[in-house]
Amino acid sequence: MNPWPFVAAAYTVAISLTVGLLAWSYISMRSAEAAADSLRRK
Amino acid sequence: MHALANPARFLRIARPATIWLLAVGLALALLGISAGLTLTPPDYLQGETVRILYVHVPSAWLGMGGWLGIAAASISQLVWRHPLAAVAGRAVAPAGATFAAICLLTGSIWGRPTWGTWWEWDGRLTSMLILFFLYLGYVALASAERERGGEGRIAAIYGLVGAVNLPIIHYSVLWWRTLHQGQSISVTGGSSIDNAILWPLPLTMIGFSFLFGAAVLMRMRAELAEAKVEARMRRLGA
Amino acid sequence: MKPKNQRLILVAAALFAVVAAALLAMWGLREQASYFFTPADIAAGKASEGKAMRLGGMVQAHSIQRQGDGLTIRFVVTDGKATTPVVYRGIVPDLFREGSGAVAEGRLQNGTFMADTILAKHDERYMPPELGNLSAEHKAGGTLER
Repeated sequence: MNPWPFVAAAYTVAISLTVGLLAWSYISMRSAEAAADSLRRK
Repeated sequence: MHALANPARFLRIARPATIWLLAVGLALALLGISAGLTLTPPDYLQGETVRILYVHVPSAWLGMGGWLGIAAASISQLVWRHPLAAVAGRAVAPAGATFAAICLLTGSIWGRPTWGTWWEWDGRLTSMLILFFLYLGYVALASAERERGGEGRIAAIYGLVGAVNLPIIHYSVLWWRTLHQGQSISVTGGSSIDNAILWPLPLTMIGFSFLFGAAVLMRMRAELAEAKVEARMRRLGA
Repeated sequence: MKPKNQRLILVAAALFAVVAAALLAMWGLREQASYFFTPADIAAGKASEGKAMRLGGMVQAHSIQRQGDGLTIRFVVTDGKATTPVVYRGIVPDLFREGSGAVAEGRLQNGTFMADTILAKHDERYMPPELGNLSAEHKAGGTLER
């Protein structure tokens, strides 16, 4: 059995889920902090 | 820990820490991954599929370590009523669930060429799947409790009881005959992985741990900002 | 006593009780939760004939025989205490080889294990090929001693 498709699939899963978690955390943080900042300025 | 009880003081530390964890974590993880894909030799039996270990082992550690964090947050919530404990617990859960899922998926992808099966209901695989479902339960329970204006005490008790699964996962390969191999690295007994194969593993372990930390801090900052907005809205509405 | 300390003791006691109860239950379940039987279990009469089960152990050195049809193989599984002959028809995983661990699913018939599925069991040792060939002999055992 050719091992490389399995290695590639495992790394794709690991990297895309990690990046997805970081992106979601980052976007939710930025939007929440922006909302808090705009409220304070009002 | 109570020095951090004040959210303003917490944020003063968390803001620069987020950037540093992200930058160093990304650098170490990418370094470890590229070394693990190109520089290390294949295993004498598994061949090239051994490379999956560099992402599987860190995700297994973070999936379990995440619940350790939830348990610690639960204790500090129940005993000391730390004001950030419930926020921390809710921030750790999605990150822990993500890495538990990575662990299960990469393990399954490794199992097909190695064992000859995608999935078997042995002690290790089953207890790890239960951990993933415990995370989903925690996320649902904690967010429901927060919406009802609770302090997070119910989620904390759930987090504490769920911690029972951690020693079961760890010892499953020792107590029961499992398809999953025994542990390769122990704190006391050294490692049964040859150094030529082992060396990139600490890089991805630390790298992914830092990224996990960054995700937790970002979620905590998001929740604190949301709470600030909600408090302001309530004052304006009242 | 301060209420904070009271809560600490309460939480610690509850945690201890829950963990102890769970660990006891798991320890009690270790027979049922075992993923496979070993040849020693079969020799001791713990497995009944004709019932679906799994057999695990080391594939004994020089025991794999290919039958005339090219698909059926016979081999012997050992755990160091007893041995069980296995018959299997089909394709085995790449990592299935003599001196390595394997798990067979199937049933026992007149002392021979008729397997429907063969899985390779990997052990906890990882090494580059040039080291692996040197130490291939001392591999047997290890993952089975429980």
